[in-house]
Amino acid sequence: MRSSSYFAMPTRALLPARTLLVLALTAIAVPTAHAADAPATNAADTHAVTPTTPAAKPYMGWSSWSMQSSKYPGLNPDGDYSYLTEANVLKQTDALAAKLKKYGYEYVNIDAGWWMDKTWKSGFDGYGRQKPDPVRFPSGMKAVADRIHAKGLKAGIYLPAGLEKGAYGDGKTPVWNAGGCTTGDIVYDDLRTTNGWDSAYKLDFAKPCTSKYIDSQARLIADWGYDFLKLDGVGPGSGKSGDQYDNVADVAAWHRAIADTGRPIHLELSWSLDIGHAADWKKYSQGWRVDTDVECYCNTLVSWENSVDDRWDDTPAWTRHAGPGGWNDLDSLDVGNGQMDGLTKAERQSYATLWAIAKSPLYTGDDLTRLDPYGLSLLTNREVIALNQGPNPPAHPVTPSDPQQVWASKNPDGTYTVALFNLADAPAAVTADWTALGFTGKASVRDLWNHENLGTYRNKVTQALPAHGSRLFTVTPRGTALTYTGYEAESAANTLAGNASVADCSACSNGKKVGNLYLGGKLTFNDVTVARAGTYQIKISYISGDARSVDVSANGGGATRHKLPATGDWGTVASVYVPVTLRAGANTITFDSGTDGYAPDLDRIDVPKS
Amino acid sequence: MTSAPSRRGVLGLTAVLAALPTFRATAAPRRPAAEAAPVADPRHRLWWQAPADEHSMLEQGLPVGNGRLGALASNDPGHELLLVTDATMWTGGLNDTLDADGQFPYGRQDFGSFTLLARLTVDLPDHDLSTVSGYRRTLDLDRGVNGTSYVRSGVTYHREIFASHPDDVIVLHFTQSGGGHYTGTITLEGTHGEQPAVSFGAALANGLRYGAAITAYGSGGRVRVNGPDITFAGCRELTVVLSGGTDYAPDAAAGFRAPSLDPERLARTKVQAAARHSAATLLRTHTADHHALYGRLGLSLGTSSADQRALDTWERLRARARDGVPDPELEAQYLQFGRYLMIAGSRGSLPLNLQGLWLDGNDPDWMGDYHTDINLQMNYWAADRTGLSACFDAFTDYCVAQLPSWTELTRRLFNDSRNRYRNSTGKNAGWTVAISTNPFGGGGWWWHPAGNAWLCNSLYEHYEFTASRDHLEKIYPLLKGACEFWEARLLTMTLPGTAREVLVADSDWSPEHGPLDAKGITYAQELVWTLFGNYCTAAAELKKDAGFAATIAGLRKRLHLPEVSPTTGWLEEWMSPDNLGETTHRHLSPLVGLFPGDRIRPDGSTPADLVEGATALLTARGMESFGWANAWRALCWARLKDADKAYRLVATNLRPSTGGGNGTAFNLFDIYEVEKGRGIFQIDANLGTPAAMIEMLLYSRPGHLELLPALPDAWAAAGSLTGAPVRGGFVVDLHWREGKPTEARIRSTGGRTTTVAHAGSTRTVTLKPGTAVTLRGFGR
Repeated sequence: MRSSSYFAMPTRALLPARTLLVLALTAIAVPTAHAADAPATNAADTHAVTPTTPAAKPYMGWSSWSMQSSKYPGLNPDGDYSYLTEANVLKQTDALAAKLKKYGYEYVNIDAGWWMDKTWKSGFDGYGRQKPDPVRFPSGMKAVADRIHAKGLKAGIYLPAGLEKGAYGDGKTPVWNAGGCTTGDIVYDDLRTTNGWDSAYKLDFAKPCTSKYIDSQARLIADWGYDFLKLDGVGPGSGKSGDQYDNVADVAAWHRAIADTGRPIHLELSWSLDIGHAADWKKYSQGWRVDTDVECYCNTLVSWENSVDDRWDDTPAWTRHAGPGGWNDLDSLDVGNGQMDGLTKAERQSYATLWAIAKSPLYTGDDLTRLDPYGLSLLTNREVIALNQGPNPPAHPVTPSDPQQVWASKNPDGTYTVALFNLADAPAAVTADWTALGFTGKASVRDLWNHENLGTYRNKVTQALPAHGSRLFTVTPRGTALTYTGYEAESAANTLAGNASVADCSACSNGKKVGNLYLGGKLTFNDVTVARAGTYQIKISYISGDARSVDVSANGGGATRHKLPATGDWGTVASVYVPVTLRAGANTITFDSGTDGYAPDLDRIDVPKS
Repeated sequence: MTSAPSRRGVLGLTAVLAALPTFRATAAPRRPAAEAAPVADPRHRLWWQAPADEHSMLEQGLPVGNGRLGALASNDPGHELLLVTDATMWTGGLNDTLDADGQFPYGRQDFGSFTLLARLTVDLPDHDLSTVSGYRRTLDLDRGVNGTSYVRSGVTYHREIFASHPDDVIVLHFTQSGGGHYTGTITLEGTHGEQPAVSFGAALANGLRYGAAITAYGSGGRVRVNGPDITFAGCRELTVVLSGGTDYAPDAAAGFRAPSLDPERLARTKVQAAARHSAATLLRTHTADHHALYGRLGLSLGTSSADQRALDTWERLRARARDGVPDPELEAQYLQFGRYLMIAGSRGSLPLNLQGLWLDGNDPDWMGDYHTDINLQMNYWAADRTGLSACFDAFTDYCVAQLPSWTELTRRLFNDSRNRYRNSTGKNAGWTVAISTNPFGGGGWWWHPAGNAWLCNSLYEHYEFTASRDHLEKIYPLLKGACEFWEARLLTMTLPGTAREVLVADSDWSPEHGPLDAKGITYAQELVWTLFGNYCTAAAELKKDAGFAATIAGLRKRLHLPEVSPTTGWLEEWMSPDNLGETTHRHLSPLVGLFPGDRIRPDGSTPADLVEGATALLTARGMESFGWANAWRALCWARLKDADKAYRLVATNLRPSTGGGNGTAFNLFDIYEVEKGRGIFQIDANLGTPAAMIEMLLYSRPGHLELLPALPDAWAAAGSLTGAPVRGGFVVDLHWREGKPTEARIRSTGGRTTTVAHAGSTRTVTLKPGTAVTLRGFGR
């Protein structure tokens, strides 16, 4: 039972759900395409005049939500979510400026609740726009943004998708600067609701007044000086699907409205966005939350199972969508204080590793005034930050999603970023085989977390990892590129069993694949020939809209079940490497769904020649 | 009663010798010369590439032990954890008030439970696992040393942990090369509510006093006691020494206590005495002592591939199961690991219980007790077979020390009117046991009438292996008391459908299977038949009690011997042609005459229908069960000379355990899936499987020896088994090639004559003790 940020109110019974209203607004620090027309609003905003791609790099900063949502003692003394106050935001601003700014952290993001009182009752201005709560933010939102800017930082704000129910005002509330439009003119006649919590009426963009409302909100946050907006509860996503929850038009309107303000405002979407609309999110925003909240809504900020560890399964499908201009947002990086985070040191390192190599935005939700030395070292490791902010692409699993897994990316300079993960509950050895990176022989290994060259390793590196632990390396190949023999799944030389059948696949090599590997479906590659007996990392190219498992065996021997990460849809091919023990000469390799399982579709396998 | 004093006198002498507390002051050990210490040999080294998790110690911790004092070690670089045990650290007591059903209470307070003695941690904050590379840990089976090594910032760190029998301490030795140092904290804690301290002493609710102590010394840097801890800083080398124990004494008359013993003080004395020596000296003393036992057996089952050898032990187990390719060196290591556990867990104290000497908490399943309906016996099947006869003594000494209490409880309680297993004859004599026994003379769970016979038969087999008259003297009172029990218990019955009168066991439960009140169960008939035979031989050998022995011989002739069911074709388990239980039940109780007994032999000396009935029953029991049950099946198939099935069962036990399933854990402990997804460690399969592997290579009964009776293809190419004792009082060195013996050297350790058979050809060997003969030319 997981929901997005602010709706997962632990004491929901205190307040009817319909009173939960959200809104946000953000400003961007990284200049947009309009940068040339957008004068810096603050002398400290030194980035704003640099003509670069918006969100050229994953953003870095701090967000208020993790502490707001936690029951950690003392954080929310005046009731749930009461952490969010002007004083606390400014305290974190000062700490960010003092401790983390020099490492690239720059955004201070106010999350849900800035327009709600301590009982979580929303306030709106005369135009149906969210109005700062005077108790939480006595100086108003602009003053807070100014204070953030004065520290050389950027300010972020938050809004929910749609017209919050409390803003409707019987439909008579005027929309600001909209020539007589009222709230009744921007929603559907049946007042259908939308967003992840159904806390708002869905906006009807077929009506001419509707975009004016978005303009009015955008104008407001731009005037206040915000650089970043988190738009939350956005669908399809946020646990919802169907037309009623399709907020693509909202997002498009926001994109245009922000541009019209002339202020570069980074637009970040939340939560669990539908990957089927990845193109829309990429077109209109600079980042999208790929998963549910990382927070646990418990006595700590997060917990490993609830839900940090979900990211290893859920991120791979999104990997190819990340790049300059828009990034896969894995949510807050709460690794700064072990006690508050509720994580072991090993878990914190793994958390930071995945966020870094997946090129997720790096924003912490920790209390920056209470970072422990280890947490500070994780958040300020320049080598790891450079991976996240540098030109290398996001890493992707090169082995299946088994408890021990290896993620890697090939970097523009010819090196590889290699992360080892042990997601098991007990220590385990994890091995990265160079053949799964495409080369063989020697390579030198640098340990990024420990700032240490570990020396030269032949064919592989194996390390002992603690429970939920990780290692992060830069591997510089000194060997030779591997050559492969390819075997197409659809080859007539193979044997299909059960439901398995050949199908067309435009993304596949040779235009075909083998699918319907379910309930006993089986594909056997006959006559896979190698010169020397041994264990080979064979490359499996496959298609799998969701993560699926398959039993892999050779020569009729015992099978090993591997869970292959989702490719995101049924038209995208990805590949992982699995070990298979072969004998010299001809072999068979079998992929079996198992009698009660559903396996991925298979495009081909590539077997190293040596 | 007039004869009682003399018998008591004999018992008394034994009792005096045995009554010394197991934790006691010992003479300073002999220090071997440096060159006497064994050199590390990679063939005897298991290795892994990850440490144990604190919460998975039974699956991942590596065991050390000096036969009494044991530990599981995590080998975590930054956080070494030792879960320390003493074999006698038991709650509970005599437990002599029966429940309303006439059976024994079976709780942790009344019956008692094996529990931890202490936790030792060595924290090295700078050595977090995530900051080190090249991590590796080993278990050197030959030297008895658990090693750990890793590299951090260019410095290689080494750690060796061992439990020394001669010095009676556990030692942790930390070294490094490359200019590194150690800074951290050592903490000793009890697990029964004691405050952490460098030494502690307390008593359990049952009055058992216990204590433990540590000391530490280093070179370079500082080592100091800091409140409850020992802290150290900047040490180039560090040695930590731990000892501990209880005031347990194997003396029923003294209530199993040594009142003058102060365990905490003795522990302090021991660590201080050991700390006067360098770690190198302690190590050398230990490895020489350990190797003297370990080295008695040589085993080669063939050669593994270079790819197999390149894998760590866990990967190797996984690959073996996945690829289905035999890995003869790994299989030999598995056998040797069982021997390692025997040496570490069974010397000079209590015998190996359900978990041997190793625990991860104070609530082991089934109390970590002594189960007398298979598990305790199985624990010792490998001891003699693998050259560890010396380790068998803990089992013997236990039974001898418990006998007065077992006799007393039987006298007072067995014929209680509420006990469904009481003797319907109304007579009561001798002794028997419950299914579970503790170290305080007490029983737990249900009465187990035939348990006495099985214990005696196991003790008697040790005599068959060793031909030790001293041992026979020692166990004679047990055998005699068990015979007295059965003399009082056996019922005369007219065999249905015949006029023949036979003797049958009174109402009983074939272990954990089928009807609760069955007369003449096969299990009891077979065991008592063997007991009576053993007793008569013992009495004759010792020239004792000729009249009673004649009586027992007469009873033995009248015993009903189990038959094959005309309905199922199986050897009957109950005196019924019907299958009254679960076909694939884990226990093989009705097959005790096949193994460990000798009544059912596939060599023409036993009626063919009996062998066929046993084979059919074994077949029906299936090939998939718990580890110990697979081991027993493998032993039975070995006796039936079915190498393929025996080997398949061995391979089944070698399958890696995942998700708590049956199989072999990361640390090679056998895992028993006690409920879906919850696996626990039970040591029996770790010892029963090696016994089966030996039994495949060498079958013996007094006067007869068979070479390679069930040699599987996987081991056939070439191999050797040297130093293997066989029943009849010989030790065999056997070599084979292409499935046939090439050479067998038979050395007498007391035996005089035996036939030596292979594949139908038989020779007779006659030797004087201490002499040997080498046989060649088999299978021509």
